[in-house]
Amino acid sequence: MPVYKAPLRDMQFVLNDLLKVDQHYPTLSDREEVTPDLLDAILNEGAKFAEEVIAPLNQIGDQQGCTWSEDGVTTPDGFKEAYQQYCESGWTSVSARTEFGGQGLPPSVGLLLSDMMGGANWSWSMYPGLSSSAARVLEEYGNEMQQTRYLPKMVDGTWTGTMCLTEPHAGSDVGLSRTKAKDNGDGTYAITGTKIFISSGEHDMAENIIHLVLARTEGAPEGTKGISLFLVPKFIAHEDSSLGDRNGVTCGSIEHKMGIKGSATAVLNFDGATGYMIGEENKGLTYMFVMMNTARMGTAMQGLSLGQLSYQGGLEYARERLQMRSLSGPKNPDGPADPIIVHPDVRRMLLTQKAFTEGSRAFLYWILMVVDKANCGATEEERKEADDLLHLLTPIAKAFVTETGLEVANYGVQIYGGHGFISEWGMEQIVRDLRISTLYEGTTGIQALDLLGRKIMGTGGQALMTLTKIIHKYCESQKDNAAMAEFVEPLAALNKEWGDITMQIGEKAMQNPDEVGAASVDYLMYSGYIALAYMWAQMAELALGGSEGDSFMASKIKTARFYFQRLLPRTESHKLSMLSGADNLMALDVDEFAF
Amino acid sequence: MPDYKAPVKDMQFVLHEVFNAESIWSKLGLEEVNRELADAILDEAAKISENLLSPLNRSGDEEGVSWNDTVVTTPKGFPEAFKELAEGGWGALAGAPEYGGQVIPKMLVLMFEEMSYGSNIALGLYLSLTSGAALALANHASDELKEKYLPNMYSGKWAGSMCLTEGHAGTDLGMIRTKAEPQADGSYSITGNKIFITGGEHDLTENIVHLVLAKLPDAPAGSKGISLFLVPKFHVNDDGSLGERNGVSCGSVEHKMGIHASATCVLNFDGAKGYLVGEVNKGLAAMFTMMNYERLSVGVQGLGLAAAAYNGSLDYARERLQSRSPAGPQNADGPADPIIVHPDVRRMLLTQKAYVEAGRAFAVFVGQQLDTAKFGEGEEQARAAGLVELLTPIAKAFLTDKGLDCTVLGQQCFGGHGYVREWGMEQLVRDVRIAQIYEGTNGIQALDLMGRKVAANGGQNMGVLLQEMRDYAESVTTAGMEEFTAPLQSAVEVLDSLTRDVLNAAKNDPHAVGAASVEYLHAAGYTIYAYMWARMAEAALKAGDNEFYTSKLHTARFYMKRLLPQLQALATSVRAGSDVLMDLPESAF
Repeated sequence: MPVYKAPLRDMQFVLNDLLKVDQHYPTLSDREEVTPDLLDAILNEGAKFAEEVIAPLNQIGDQQGCTWSEDGVTTPDGFKEAYQQYCESGWTSVSARTEFGGQGLPPSVGLLLSDMMGGANWSWSMYPGLSSSAARVLEEYGNEMQQTRYLPKMVDGTWTGTMCLTEPHAGSDVGLSRTKAKDNGDGTYAITGTKIFISSGEHDMAENIIHLVLARTEGAPEGTKGISLFLVPKFIAHEDSSLGDRNGVTCGSIEHKMGIKGSATAVLNFDGATGYMIGEENKGLTYMFVMMNTARMGTAMQGLSLGQLSYQGGLEYARERLQMRSLSGPKNPDGPADPIIVHPDVRRMLLTQKAFTEGSRAFLYWILMVVDKANCGATEEERKEADDLLHLLTPIAKAFVTETGLEVANYGVQIYGGHGFISEWGMEQIVRDLRISTLYEGTTGIQALDLLGRKIMGTGGQALMTLTKIIHKYCESQKDNAAMAEFVEPLAALNKEWGDITMQIGEKAMQNPDEVGAASVDYLMYSGYIALAYMWAQMAELALGGSEGDSFMASKIKTARFYFQRLLPRTESHKLSMLSGADNLMALDVDEFAF
Repeated sequence: MPDYKAPVKDMQFVLHEVFNAESIWSKLGLEEVNRELADAILDEAAKISENLLSPLNRSGDEEGVSWNDTVVTTPKGFPEAFKELAEGGWGALAGAPEYGGQVIPKMLVLMFEEMSYGSNIALGLYLSLTSGAALALANHASDELKEKYLPNMYSGKWAGSMCLTEGHAGTDLGMIRTKAEPQADGSYSITGNKIFITGGEHDLTENIVHLVLAKLPDAPAGSKGISLFLVPKFHVNDDGSLGERNGVSCGSVEHKMGIHASATCVLNFDGAKGYLVGEVNKGLAAMFTMMNYERLSVGVQGLGLAAAAYNGSLDYARERLQSRSPAGPQNADGPADPIIVHPDVRRMLLTQKAYVEAGRAFAVFVGQQLDTAKFGEGEEQARAAGLVELLTPIAKAFLTDKGLDCTVLGQQCFGGHGYVREWGMEQLVRDVRIAQIYEGTNGIQALDLMGRKVAANGGQNMGVLLQEMRDYAESVTTAGMEEFTAPLQSAVEVLDSLTRDVLNAAKNDPHAVGAASVEYLHAAGYTIYAYMWARMAEAALKAGDNEFYTSKLHTARFYMKRLLPQLQALATSVRAGSDVLMDLPESAF
């Protein structure tokens, strides 16, 4: 099993040098201030917890998995104790508001922690991760009763939370969901229906579980416009937040999955369970989207965190494993063979891992700053602007970072040769654990439709222009920097082409509604490559300005070069493919796919 | 679990309509093999894979093999199924006739392989490893050994294994330490540990015949000092009956990502009695004659599992109702449309279809070269042998890389259900993943292609292939072929110039080959698939107008427009050269 080591040096480089968080945090309002010292302390302590407490449980969790019985779900050995320690250290409350017992730090701080927790043990990290997303919804939209009775215990981790959307026949198409909410006439509702794929839906780590459930009231309009959101606790809380009766929600079974085996994926049966409506009737999806956007960033983080773990494992092995000689002469003449890192193709795999992982870290952390601004920007205008940008970036982040993360994890296995396929080495677990990330929280296909259909075509291309302007401005600022030409020129060209392509697709889409879906995934990947190019250009610029002999900075420049020369060219193929039109996808009759 | 459905119709199309296999076979003097026999074999293989192998696929994955004090037990139903398979003669298809083999051409054998892997790769592996070991024996062992071992291996009474890898020696076999001490009776005493031995121990057969690489005490260092030995699990008496247990035992089995029902063994040889196969110190060469067949067979694993994934996801996409088509409801009476109406789901399905069908044709194309190299004569034989050398690494690596892509897409079509075991799609991903690794990782295949097969002979074999594709594109006269030959021609030119660029760079840069290799292999794969699609389109155009052929033409079009463009990115990336890979000091990663 690769030993997880929090990439603090790289995190600090991105936060301090690239994103200049010392200037970012003071601009936020309505939150406690994050001083450089405080941030350092949080990252260092978080790293320790991730490395020492939960990383050692990662392989055990995979081997044992969760077990279901009539009495509930048991998590793997050590999960519960680690969670208690996590709560006692106050990690669950970092980004929650002070009025509910939180520490009141901006959202980015909590998400930075989740990068480390996720890399150390993704399955484990899902329990607190989902819980904080659920708490965010209550912070934003819960009424006083819901907030005073339920939130503080979610914030301090005594209780956890879930989101219950999917039903067997309603996954991507939430509008088809059938779970019913019958008005009891006393301000409560009786919730009845079956939800599947509910992460942390039942477990033994906390004394209560607060489910946020999508359901339809009687007479609600059909489709997505008739869905309301309900708070359905496993145990109903008294006024003083002490536990009352067991509610009518039970776990029917848990799924046997490819990976994330330490995370309980539950079938939940609601049988007239008492629920409290959150916000207004029929606006459930809007509220859920608040949670969803956080959850999507969390899922994007999965691509980064597990990509990091795989890169660390791959690198360590490549330095130690001795096989064959370098083609330019022995590099380890005293040994029986050279370490495989001397071989160009092993380096290609490692550099691909490095370029995607570090590029994604910069990209996602940048978005975290946007998340902060959208939530606690000083002015309404600032918040709105950030929110618009966030809407555009979220689907790219979610799908691109998980898709490339899967590539990274597969290279991790490949570098190990046959050992990569063997469970005890831990590399194949990363692939299995990561594989879910392109599926849940909206598949890659759904993210791509969201990006191109809703976010770009839906705003007449306006949203994209905000982003291309930012990149354009950056390229202009580097115009006279000769050393940056190798990065800025291709970036500027692609940035311009991005707008042109978008126009072309927009025009085609007016003639044929299938054009958007036909271009969408290639378009999203194309966009992701440009976004990472923008991040790599900025990192190269910083590194070029770094001091002579700083090997960290030299490594950044070389990795940027690798990214631009060997990965960015993939945009060429995505472009040709997405511009080839919908006909080649739609022409085949449904019956002509197989004979 | 998706029920396996053998793609017999497509196999017939490839064999009979695209390659006109019957005329090839008759030219090679294989008079007994004709269309009728081929179709009968395909039908029988389909029955076996659908009814016998497929039902044991998921239970095999769930149960896995178990090890207890050197004894390995395979999952429920495996011994019976293997016996039935063996009795059906499926282990003897390509065997030497004097020992009970059937002389079926590879072009056809690989279709059986595709079906056996696609329906149950773990079970299929026991049989194909046995055939591989038998092939090595048939080519290199003494008549005495052949007589004693081959008939029972062909009949599936005994199984075979290949013992190459050791803990510290995987890719770099020159480093192996297993020793072979000559004995007075002409045999050898074999001592050492082998790992990753597929089918190294099991309860399917009464005996297992291990082929083991080991070194004589005075052997030269490195790969030139390796010899090949036959080491039976049970000694075989002169009358063919089984004698005592030999000194080889299974120390443990690996817990793996996939192919759980295939026993991957640690084998301990403790003074086991072995018999030299072929000449002293020529063990690797003996292994390599079989390797071309093995590698194509591993490629076919990628193909078989990709086809199974396509099959499963297509069924699901037709049945799963979610959301409405952007062009308006297509299933107005239902609560939503089947997801196959959505352009992106179609993209995923067509990608699988285009890779699978081109892959099938490509495998047959390589099979044709293997058959011609084996049964042909003169110039034609030499040309085919050269092409085999060139195409084998491409087939192994490209088919398995696309195999992973397709199984992942198949899983993706299922959404969250793709991640849940009972649906069976995630098993395909886990099972196919090994095919990119064993029998030489795909990185090793790429080095073999670029270094040994292309650079070492100045691109000569690649020149033959490029010329064949060019000639085809220029000479085809069937109406309507322009839209397929034009992209094929430009792909051929890209590959040609890329080949020359890399060869030039390699003159002064020892890393140029390794830096280009994997992407170069993929560039070759994409170009060859364009060639396959052009040939399939031509066969479809000639055959006339029905749904099957329309489907081929649409898929050919999809391939040229949506998948072939990946060649551009690969070429640009290869041309970036080796500096961007080699510049970073090891410490700066």
